[in-house]
Amino acid sequence: MRYNEKELQALSRQPAEMAAELGMRGPKKGSVVKRRLVKLVVNFLFYFRTDEAEPIGALLLEHCRVIHEEPSGFSISFLEDPERKYHFECCSEEQCQEWMAALRRASYEFMRRSLIFYRNEIQKMTGKDPLEQFGISEEARFQLSCLKA
Amino acid sequence: MKLNERSVAHYALSDSPADHTGFLRTWGGAGTPPTPSGAGRRCWFVLKGNLLFSFESREGRAPLSLVVLEGCTVELAEAPVPEEFAFAIRFDAPGVRPHLLAADGPAAQEAWVKALSRASFGYMRLVVRELESQLREAHHSLDLHRRSSWKAVSSRCKPQAPDRWSPGLENGHSLSRDCSPIGLVEEGGSRPAGRGLAEWELQGPANLLLGRGQSPVSPETSCFSTLHEWYGREIMELRRAWLQRAQENQPECKDQDRP
Repeated sequence: MRYNEKELQALSRQPAEMAAELGMRGPKKGSVVKRRLVKLVVNFLFYFRTDEAEPIGALLLEHCRVIHEEPSGFSISFLEDPERKYHFECCSEEQCQEWMAALRRASYEFMRRSLIFYRNEIQKMTGKDPLEQFGISEEARFQLSCLKA
Repeated sequence: MKLNERSVAHYALSDSPADHTGFLRTWGGAGTPPTPSGAGRRCWFVLKGNLLFSFESREGRAPLSLVVLEGCTVELAEAPVPEEFAFAIRFDAPGVRPHLLAADGPAAQEAWVKALSRASFGYMRLVVRELESQLREAHHSLDLHRRSSWKAVSSRCKPQAPDRWSPGLENGHSLSRDCSPIGLVEEGGSRPAGRGLAEWELQGPANLLLGRGQSPVSPETSCFSTLHEWYGREIMELRRAWLQRAQENQPECKDQDRP
């Protein structure tokens, strides 16, 4: 799959929701923990060598699962291969919880569900569709049918 | 730069809703070789969230390319060949070439430009925040209304939290009916009116979150598990209601088919 690295690099320079130096271990067997600068920008998690300006890699955070890993870390895995985990180590349980919460709401799909939820609530309470003012009430992405268990 | 390509491709092919799809001609975008006639290569494009994927065909099992629609603008463009219905995705970042695409007709062109312009995470976040504040306002004004009308009724009440949602979902008239004091059942033992009302307020994570001054999309939120749990419940209820209705409809169809 082709993608433009420059576009991703530019994205990694945009303001981050969260950024910190964490211990990171890749999913391959035998991989070791390395210090990385980890940066959450929209639905991408970028990771950098601590002294470099360009990221080594990025993780798209759609359809991912964030799990707490003892002692004060978490792992990210993806729907198609839940056993393949990217491990992260935080400096405290508090930092760990903060990251987990941020990562869980970092996906576009989460935003979409929130939007549909609010739209539905407002419609029930006021009888009006709040998306009409935006002219986007008919868009496929915002329909209640998008919600799946 | 590494990317979790397998997961990205999986997401592209998953049945999470596509926000827009269609055939587009593409020139010189990442990895598309120019055709001899300069007419552009025709690919099947899928927009999911802020990600634009291209496939060789509608049945393609692996995306050819990915464009992340952040920090870009979409505008009508002059095609290299006098091509109609072309548009370009231009990035603000220096050194990043624009992606040139062309639709099959004016309607498709307009639809794509609109869809792509609204695809960014930032746009979605804006709309969500706007709705959050609208919901907060709606709750607030409803709350004021209830507090003033509450004084007129009996102080003992039982909040019917589980039942509240089904009528709400089915007929769309929830709050005005369910929250009227008439709908409440008296319970033995005294319960202060104020607390009863507060329990009514806790109907869903939105209330919980808004009540604590938090929101699902702002950094202060710590109630995802609540929100997640509630979604699960509502979805199960919806599903149950649909299945029930489907079952009710089925026997009728079967009867009609019988000779």
